[in-house]
Amino acid sequence: MKKNISGKLALITLQVLLLPFLTGCWSSHEIEEVSLEIGIALDKGYLSNIDKEFEEQDGGYQKNNNITITFQTVNTKGIGNNSKGGGSSEQHSYLNVSETGDSTFQIVREIPLRRDHPIIGHHLKVIIISEELASNYSIKDLLDSYLRDNDIRPSCLVLISKGRASNALETNVIGEIPSFRLTKMVENGYRSNKILPAMPLAKLTGKIQSESSFLLQNVISADGEVKLTGAAVIKGKTNKVVGFLNEEELEGITWINGKVKGGVVKSSVKGQIIAYEIKSMKSKILPHINSGDITFEIKIETEGRLSENWVNRGKPSDNKFLREIEKSIEAEIKSLMENVVQKMQNDLEVDVAGFGNKLKIKHPKVWKEVKKDDWDVTFSKLPIKYNVEVTVADYGAVSSD
Amino acid sequence: MIKSEEKITTTQAIVIVTNFILATGILTLPRTSVEKVKTPDVWITVILGGLIMIIAAIIMVKLSQQYPGKTFYQYSQEILGIWIGRFLSILIICYFITVSGFQVRSMAEVTNFFLLESTPLWAITMPFMWIGLYLVFGGINTIARMFEIIFPITLFFFILVLFMSFKLFEIDNLRPVLGDGITPVLKGIPATILAYTGPEIMLLLVAFMQQPSKAVKVVIIGTVIPMIFYVFLVVMVIGALSIEGVVVRTWPSIDLIRSFEMSGLIFERYESILLVIWIMQIFASFVISYYAASLGLAQLFRIKFNKIGFILLPIIYIIAMSSNNINELFKLGNMIGNSMWFLFLGLPLFLLLFTKLRGAKS
Repeated sequence: MKKNISGKLALITLQVLLLPFLTGCWSSHEIEEVSLEIGIALDKGYLSNIDKEFEEQDGGYQKNNNITITFQTVNTKGIGNNSKGGGSSEQHSYLNVSETGDSTFQIVREIPLRRDHPIIGHHLKVIIISEELASNYSIKDLLDSYLRDNDIRPSCLVLISKGRASNALETNVIGEIPSFRLTKMVENGYRSNKILPAMPLAKLTGKIQSESSFLLQNVISADGEVKLTGAAVIKGKTNKVVGFLNEEELEGITWINGKVKGGVVKSSVKGQIIAYEIKSMKSKILPHINSGDITFEIKIETEGRLSENWVNRGKPSDNKFLREIEKSIEAEIKSLMENVVQKMQNDLEVDVAGFGNKLKIKHPKVWKEVKKDDWDVTFSKLPIKYNVEVTVADYGAVSSD
Repeated sequence: MIKSEEKITTTQAIVIVTNFILATGILTLPRTSVEKVKTPDVWITVILGGLIMIIAAIIMVKLSQQYPGKTFYQYSQEILGIWIGRFLSILIICYFITVSGFQVRSMAEVTNFFLLESTPLWAITMPFMWIGLYLVFGGINTIARMFEIIFPITLFFFILVLFMSFKLFEIDNLRPVLGDGITPVLKGIPATILAYTGPEIMLLLVAFMQQPSKAVKVVIIGTVIPMIFYVFLVVMVIGALSIEGVVVRTWPSIDLIRSFEMSGLIFERYESILLVIWIMQIFASFVISYYAASLGLAQLFRIKFNKIGFILLPIIYIIAMSSNNINELFKLGNMIGNSMWFLFLGLPLFLLLFTKLRGAKS
């Protein structure tokens, strides 16, 4: 009996002793005590007036001020108490804070010296890099700390800004959060073929390691408004920005690599405007090898709707007229592609449309040979043939005007 | 020798083999195999690795079936005499101890990196090991029943989470097939073996089976389930991250799950589910190797099983903590994978041939 009691006592003691191990994370911080970064803008180093004043008071450390990072965090202070906050009733739902330095990681850890809430990266949605920075530094180096981080998720999107990247993190609309706006805009590819498929860090890793050139969506900003316009061309060997494609050139790219999910082709028949809405498209890049010479053939089949027709007495119910429209759209798509191929081959000397990848898949042995030289240079001299087939499947609710 | 209530059913044996195989490999297999293969044909390598493991497992089963009701620790002494038999048994016990130490440390590293950042390693490992000890005391039958619970949960959630990553999948990342021929595919096989450690448990498990004649079926099904899962895994990971991307990521499988967010579903992020279930799998592998080592020492030195459990606990802890950094941990993993060739392919084959020849003579 006595033994039984002491046994029970030992068990209870053991249970109590085990309690400290059930506490879970030993380093937890309350969510109210941290700020969640949701967007980051990387710019060429510049010192704001505040930074300069800090420096005058010897507030700084040894650095060359190469990079300025703007962190966008959710403004938890402003929510719910608009009357406070220094009298201004219009409070933005985000806070931007900039810090200048050389190491992207050190810059984050400078923030606790200036703000009560340290920044944590679990909810980072978008990284914007300015052209100025990305044409001087390799994107691989600039993003290294974010790819290494255990908080930041590889789902975070990466964009390039032709102007100042931090401006893309501004808005005039109260309640709107610029970082979220950008991530939603990138998802609009089903309405426009001028948007590249989203490039999260996860996919970017493979691109920057592969030594082949690629595109990143370009975003420009003016007075709190932003626009996705064209794409930045990143040279595979250096991972630096070497040029830009404008909206029409990007359209050509999305036609070539078949990443179109929706969008419009504007063309004209008899000098009048017609608009074709893309419902489906299939694109094939066919590499051909004839006695050692490489040529490419692009085959495109698309089906869609005539969504706008300004042509006088143009009856879409007449097959002849439809054929005319199809011809005109085919020519338009072809010229879009020729335009961008011309730019890739003659101006930039890069392959960002995936021709190399197709060659690698279809003719791996040939690829091994050409890979030894700079593929971008080889590519810029290769002939390319186009083959576009447009089918106007219907013409909406108006059959004749 | 083994009480009838300690016997396990055929299904339980399959579940034990599968749960033992699925462990650290889930998180690292895509990287370790792509590092060696360097082409998108890794999935073929993974299939071949699995087939080799099945062959090795069948040899081990055939050997064990020669001595019904006896574990390797017992019959090895019968084949080669007490001293050589004991020596080989100790080698295998060392193997199981190392494996369980390796599992504990991998679990601690991943938990530390992704879940509990500043919680000390010992605080993560100790409760894990104590619960493991508690389960080991229950014997093989208790272990089998616990494995039966976690097995379906694991499979369901792993497959579900992998399917969710389909949006990121690009078929071009997996092409061309056999662009560089078959050589790189074969080169990668040794790297996949660590992911397949597990069927060696059959050296003792056959003795515990209610129907030892079905042991071949057990290893085939028990290895094919993880094999299918691994193929699916490498296809999804490479399809999303591309081979260039996979090689540079330390934990590519977790990266895959962290690469998407599902808004609108109950959870937006699924890596916590993946990690929690992965920890259950690691726990399974840890427990079964811990049990195998304890059983070996108990049978070899005729010490009480429960005592051995306590003696082994600090040893496993020391092995787990012996790696100073993550590179040493991965090296330990490679060592385990490499020792497989000798301990569980070469040795059983030799013993089987030896037994057969001697049987033919007498």
